[in-house]
Amino acid sequence: MSEAPLFSDRPINVCVTGAAGQIAYSLLPLIAGGKVFGPQQLVSLRLLEIESALPVLQGVVMELEDCAFPLLHSIFTTSDAKEAFRSCDVAVLLGAFPRKQGMERKDLLEKNAGIFKEQGEALNSEADANVRVIVVGNPANTNAYILKHFAPKIPEHNITALTRLDQNRAVSLVARKLGVPLSKVSDVYIWGNHSSTQYPDIFHGSVEGKGKLSDLLDKRYLEETFIPTIQKRGAAVIAARKMSSAMSAANAVADHLHDWLLGSDRIVSMSVPSDGSYGIERGTIFSFPVRVSRGGRYEIVKGLELDEFSKRYIKVTADELYSEKAEALALLS
Amino acid sequence: MASLRHCRGLWNQFANNNLALKPDRLPFLNNHRVKGNFTLFSRGVQIYKGSGKDWLPTLHVAVTGAAGQIAYSLLPRIANGEMLGEDQPIVLHLLEVPQALSKLQGVVMELEDCAFPLVQGIVATDDLRKGFADVSVALLVGAKPRSQGMERKDLLSSNANIFAEQGKALNEVAAKDLRVFVVGNPANTNAMICAANAPRFNPERFMSMTRLDQNRTQYMVAQKAGCKIPEVDRVVVWGNHSATQYPDITHARIKGESARKVINDEKWIREVMIPKVQQRGAEVIKARGASSAASAAAAIVDHMRDYWHGAGDRWCSVGIPSDGTYGIDEGLWYSVPVMCPGGHYRRILNLPIEEFSASMMEKSRKELVEERDAVRHLIPKEFGEKMYTAKKNSSAASSAAGKKTATSK
Repeated sequence: MSEAPLFSDRPINVCVTGAAGQIAYSLLPLIAGGKVFGPQQLVSLRLLEIESALPVLQGVVMELEDCAFPLLHSIFTTSDAKEAFRSCDVAVLLGAFPRKQGMERKDLLEKNAGIFKEQGEALNSEADANVRVIVVGNPANTNAYILKHFAPKIPEHNITALTRLDQNRAVSLVARKLGVPLSKVSDVYIWGNHSSTQYPDIFHGSVEGKGKLSDLLDKRYLEETFIPTIQKRGAAVIAARKMSSAMSAANAVADHLHDWLLGSDRIVSMSVPSDGSYGIERGTIFSFPVRVSRGGRYEIVKGLELDEFSKRYIKVTADELYSEKAEALALLS
Repeated sequence: MASLRHCRGLWNQFANNNLALKPDRLPFLNNHRVKGNFTLFSRGVQIYKGSGKDWLPTLHVAVTGAAGQIAYSLLPRIANGEMLGEDQPIVLHLLEVPQALSKLQGVVMELEDCAFPLVQGIVATDDLRKGFADVSVALLVGAKPRSQGMERKDLLSSNANIFAEQGKALNEVAAKDLRVFVVGNPANTNAMICAANAPRFNPERFMSMTRLDQNRTQYMVAQKAGCKIPEVDRVVVWGNHSATQYPDITHARIKGESARKVINDEKWIREVMIPKVQQRGAEVIKARGASSAASAAAAIVDHMRDYWHGAGDRWCSVGIPSDGTYGIDEGLWYSVPVMCPGGHYRRILNLPIEEFSASMMEKSRKELVEERDAVRHLIPKEFGEKMYTAKKNSSAASSAAGKKTATSK
């Protein structure tokens, strides 16, 4: 894949919401430093925050200036979603309403439905027609679904959500378990919702020089250890750090955007609107293995064999997504 | 003629094992290597599209203060290849104080979750000898912060103790091609103490950071002149990494022209730029509610990348043991401009120093002498004041801009 710039005549306009937050703090240097869009692509940042966080955002801007990044063309900050999304080529939606103590899941969904409705409408009216969107703020899949619902002008397939973090976690765990280098492990996929029902699937994977993962890892290990570990890894990191993953989330966002925009030889996991593949309801934002090619194109890998073991997990996560979707739509009508 | 790949492997061995001492021994000093699928970009950063098969032998990289804020921003940018190259596999050695070990576990988990192909292993420990074993690059980020009511001299001596211990441990177990980059403040004096307690190694291997201040100055100049950051060069930061640092643009150039002429505003330089760079750290703390981590990490990556791979004609500022030039006492760790051919640094000598600059540089020198005197008891007698028997011929190879050196001492 080429590292030539996507836009050779102008900077790429990247909007980041929740820009004064933890994930942004780890992500912005990767974007501005050329790690995401390539070492020759100028970047213009458009940073969105809520009004009360604008002073902290100013500190972040100061630090970005102090990094003296040669590829950073300009920084624009605002608390107005419409201004932030104006002419943007890529929108990275990190910001979401965080779950607080005593909050019900329904409350979380309600708060975020409001935010993503507003942002969907703003994207619809202001962003470039070819805008590529990644939703990270949780519940990511359903937030992306709401966004999509209110941004009908944006081609549906350009709205995605993050499960690369889960894929990276899964690949890393496989490598550690088998004692092999990471670069030799391939084709571990994440299906479903970015939640504790996600399904990390090793049945299509292999280790270079050692064989298929389905031969190297038995179902008991998968059921009792591997799958639950990956499903609950987010909580485990919070328990250890007393804060949620920022570094690894930012890294995953960088990977997702890099591969999506610049292409990759490897199949990657992304939450994308289903086209009915594998029996998943059309339009549901569901994590699939996808092939990505330069210019922000992807296609869901079709025809993968799924045995009963896998189908069981996929059903659970799909059902969760259908009910989240219904709840969200009910709240908004 | 050996294959290009073999030559590159040889070059890296030389770069990593021979140091600043005898630059004429180093082959392949041409910095503009463009071959095969390696491409040189405008900033002098070489991006390697390695595929595992082209990888160099694994390097051990240690970071102290590994559960802290700067390390959190820094570690992923080391592990993703930005610092040492995308064909340089590493083992990360993460050092912390015992109280921070559980927090460090969270950092280890996140590093694992990043699935960095270059990371061959992670060691997380509070044991210095385990942490520094076989290490070729040691980034000493951790230091004791100033607490309420703490006197500056107490801060100095408690940190000096920490860095003396680290120097001893490095002396015992580190790899023979060790490079040390000290960030934890007071960085210059900490670097000196560390070097003084690691007699196995040439003190020139111990550097202290002023790259953050250089980057800040570069940004301010670019903004004032309305030009792009890569168009600004030869910004120098002299002295101590403290409020007495002297950001100097008298030699700076914008697109080849004198920066001072382009900006044409001496008042701005003296009354706005210099104080602003000196106080920027405090400004960031006020806005963010936390000290600069991302920009400090970026400066560490910038310096080490330039030092390791080379920076062409660009000038880089770094705290290194003085060789007596510019009127700075030998053996004082003082930030000066250098060029980086790749694997080591070369001092830029004989720069003309104006009166104003000389007075600013003197302030910083005085402060560093005071700092050294406050921790003299931790400098082994053998190290002494004249630790650096200046090899004047090694300096002669550096570029000279003519005219006189500062004569005040």
